[in-house]
Amino acid sequence: MAADVHERRGIAGIIDRRIEPPVRPARTSSARKTGLIFFPAFDWAISPTHPEREERLLYTRDQIFEEGLMDFPEIIEYRPRLAELKDVARVHFCVPDVQSQVTEAHLIAAGSTLVLADALMRGEIRNGFALVRPPGHHSMRVVHGNRGFCNINNEAIMVEYIRKKYGVRRIAIVDTDVHHGDGTQDIFWHDPDVLFISFHQDGRTLYPGSGFTSEMGGPLALGRTLNVPLPPGTTDEGILYVLENLVLPVLEEFDPQLVFNSAGQDNHYTDPLANMRFTAQGYARLNEMLAPDMAVLEGGYAIESALPYVNTGIIQAMAGLDYSNVREPDYVPGRFVLTSEMRRSIEATVNHLLTIWESRDDLVEKARQEHGRFYSRRKRIFYDTDMITEGQEETLRMCTDCPGYLTISTQAARGYGRLNTAFCVSVPLFACRNCIEDAREEYEEHKSETKYDYVYLQEKPSDKFRAYCTRTRNEIVL
Amino acid sequence: MFVGIDVGGTTTNAALVDGNKVVKTAIGPTDHQEILGSLLRTMDRLIEGVDVERIKRVVLSTTLITNLIAEGKADRVGLVLIPGPGVNPRDYRFKTTPVILEGAIDYRGREIAPLRDDQIKAAAQSLADQGYRKVAVVGKFCQRNHDHELHIREIFSKAAPAIEVEMGHRVSGQLNFPRRAATTMLTLATRDHYRRFAEQAKRAMRERGIKAPIYILKADGGTLPLERSLDKPVETIFSGPAASVMGVMALTPEGQTSVVIDIGGTTTDLALILSGKPLLSSKGAKIEDMLTHVRAFAVRSIGIGGDSVVRASNGEITVGPDRAGPAFALGGPEPTPTDALMVLGLTNLGDMALARKGVGIIAKALGCSTEDAARMIVDTVVDRIVDTVNMMFLEWEQEPAYRIWELLQRTKARPQNVVGVGGASPPLVPLVAKRLNAVAIIPEHAPVANAIGAAVARPTMTLSLRIDTERGMYTVEEDGTLGEAKGRNLSLEGAQEMARRLLRERAERFGIQDYADEAEVVDSEVFNMVRGWSTVGKLIDVRMEIPAGIIASWRGEHGS
Repeated sequence: MAADVHERRGIAGIIDRRIEPPVRPARTSSARKTGLIFFPAFDWAISPTHPEREERLLYTRDQIFEEGLMDFPEIIEYRPRLAELKDVARVHFCVPDVQSQVTEAHLIAAGSTLVLADALMRGEIRNGFALVRPPGHHSMRVVHGNRGFCNINNEAIMVEYIRKKYGVRRIAIVDTDVHHGDGTQDIFWHDPDVLFISFHQDGRTLYPGSGFTSEMGGPLALGRTLNVPLPPGTTDEGILYVLENLVLPVLEEFDPQLVFNSAGQDNHYTDPLANMRFTAQGYARLNEMLAPDMAVLEGGYAIESALPYVNTGIIQAMAGLDYSNVREPDYVPGRFVLTSEMRRSIEATVNHLLTIWESRDDLVEKARQEHGRFYSRRKRIFYDTDMITEGQEETLRMCTDCPGYLTISTQAARGYGRLNTAFCVSVPLFACRNCIEDAREEYEEHKSETKYDYVYLQEKPSDKFRAYCTRTRNEIVL
Repeated sequence: MFVGIDVGGTTTNAALVDGNKVVKTAIGPTDHQEILGSLLRTMDRLIEGVDVERIKRVVLSTTLITNLIAEGKADRVGLVLIPGPGVNPRDYRFKTTPVILEGAIDYRGREIAPLRDDQIKAAAQSLADQGYRKVAVVGKFCQRNHDHELHIREIFSKAAPAIEVEMGHRVSGQLNFPRRAATTMLTLATRDHYRRFAEQAKRAMRERGIKAPIYILKADGGTLPLERSLDKPVETIFSGPAASVMGVMALTPEGQTSVVIDIGGTTTDLALILSGKPLLSSKGAKIEDMLTHVRAFAVRSIGIGGDSVVRASNGEITVGPDRAGPAFALGGPEPTPTDALMVLGLTNLGDMALARKGVGIIAKALGCSTEDAARMIVDTVVDRIVDTVNMMFLEWEQEPAYRIWELLQRTKARPQNVVGVGGASPPLVPLVAKRLNAVAIIPEHAPVANAIGAAVARPTMTLSLRIDTERGMYTVEEDGTLGEAKGRNLSLEGAQEMARRLLRERAERFGIQDYADEAEVVDSEVFNMVRGWSTVGKLIDVRMEIPAGIIASWRGEHGS
């Protein structure tokens, strides 16, 4: 991936005059070390027997500490910090507010990615791995509660932080968790500068039941979301095929300034919540080939049989160490074979996605003609952990000068009880003046609508985040 | 009366303490070829005219182990590893090429691959053929299951009876396999020498009529009866800086945050005491370039001291790290910080005319006055020390944390005091203190603070208990003890009770049972082990510690 680090062309042909700092992806940075934050949150759980409990990274701790990985000169360990509420508000509309949706553990997991992001952008490290919990990739733009063990989206918070603080524009996120990264997909759905590729076990057989090839981004960002549903039982060979034939070529063409791995470990053949056949060697190889600037842990619940070995392999691969000696106790080479049927199915999916990718600009052009000035869609979202049902109506301005501002009308209910309603206005970081002004007007207009409990304005260009409560008529600005 | 003796790099210091008073001190030169002789000569001057019957405790702190390793005089040790899956063992940079054996234990102590006897026999034979007399046998996770290491020792004792084998789990049970291997090797490499020294030291004391128990000071500021230190001599490395820190603890008010500065001829040692507790190195001491499990104070050494050579080039002053001789003022060949301090009237150690002449060389090169040059030299030294102190506080603040409370509780710390010990500290410490906005303290007896610290240091001990109720077993990190733990429903309170009992037993074995009641629980955690959706057991970790401290008879009357 030859990265042109001075990419300045905006999506609508506008030349962005902002001077970008010399971002050096992992492959070309002169920094030698891999930054690591290990935050197992040994004092935090969703509930005592929940998969997301204190014990989850205990054996991983034992393994990576016993290996002495932190002592290798190629690796530097960092201390986590808490993300600020504003870092969360830059991405999410937390209803009613950020404080009610996060615990300290969430802020530390998100904050850890920011510590590594700063180290990366300062050139202290050549790449980083946030081995942290709780995870985040099922958290969407609007947050009423916990979905798929996630409250806030760690990667998305890191992406928006880096883009705001360092002026980086084009970023690719490759979601390698076995579950579809529906939260990350939702957050960057309309963002043509963020390429989101998720490969995962077919949504017809696994939570969250989405991530089909037909989900390919909003009308102005079509083809910048690519979903690769894989048949249950897919092996190392199958996933590495997707990497080699789809992910790497697409990345090369998209030419991102930074590549992030949303690094779930539940494709493993022993994971209790999924049915794939991926091994520790496969994970190490994947990270070696993808060479992400940053990896952030997502799911992975085979806490004894997989995580200690997978994490050792990923750390080694990222640090350029020899991972050939990492293997699960019960693994023998050749144990898993990709059937020819699976292979054909994967090949067909990859070919289909390559067609979508190649025709992405035409697809956007077609969508423009189809939708006029505004585009709308309705969504229903289910929060499995908190048993919340949410209904959304999302409206995007089909701007010709920028990615367009977005509004979301949302109502959440738990059982038959109405929870909260809100109207959210989001202004993208690279918005044009018209969109910024119109979005502000939408916010002001909706403040008087009593059918909403809360009205939000997320103004990324000015980094100001407003929350208005219609009952108390109180506005909080972060 | 207590006797403390510190055999340091240049001088050997001794102090005689009675209750809360320093009765007598002595300073003599250190001869590296003859550590014991240096020790005894200074001690003899100290106890001259003293009723040796009244001596109740002798504490030694020596550079013996440091010297053995630094001078390459330690014994040759072979290394046998049972690494199992994970890091390629060849990526660890050991001083010797290890013999790698098949077999593996996992993180919970379960065997995941068996040993192969034919390989072990071949290894024993090959190491014997290469002339090894000592071999360290270390397995990954061996601290959680000793079977492999025990079996290998068994086979070695038959196949190569001349080889002395030490096993990793007996040296350290802490997580970190390569550090355990290095520590085991160092233990074997120094043990015979140390035993000889201990034997001779003991005999020499008895010859002088001293019947009191003899203790050795460890790198973590704790004392241990000499005969109990024979198994793990490597723990006594870096006892010199530890002695200085203990001296400062004894000579300054309790509970405060201080920087301890020991400025010598060519190096300056820095250590931190945070709210009355000396800061330990977070993982273990680095010995030469080997990372170990040796518990030690976090001491930073910088190559700058009173005798460091001062040079000027391109308008810049550099100090050290080399020494060309004594200060110019004392007839040395090159200007030094000591000369600069003399020019500024901050010390009076030699000939002022010579000091001015020395600093004049620098002044000429810089084109400034002798006084300005002297100020610049002193500023350079103070800058280096202040920068290092700030870095140490920053690193402490930036230490990784694995729990929410660890992350939230650590706040910024700033030093209240800058305490100078050693000979060359007095003129510089006030300047450093001023820059750090702290109080400068040069305690009475500062030159022999390390000997006083040794004399009044109390024992330290840690005990890290892990109980796996599903497997029905417990392990103790410190000495690799492994036993059966009954009761699936063991509570945290029950586990702490058990830890307290084990610590008391361990203290008895080490002859320090009088201090067992000082032990405190520093950390404890319970992990529910859930398989499927039901709880099958608990993993309980309890860490206890008798922290570094000063013995009661000294504090009794000194207490603040």
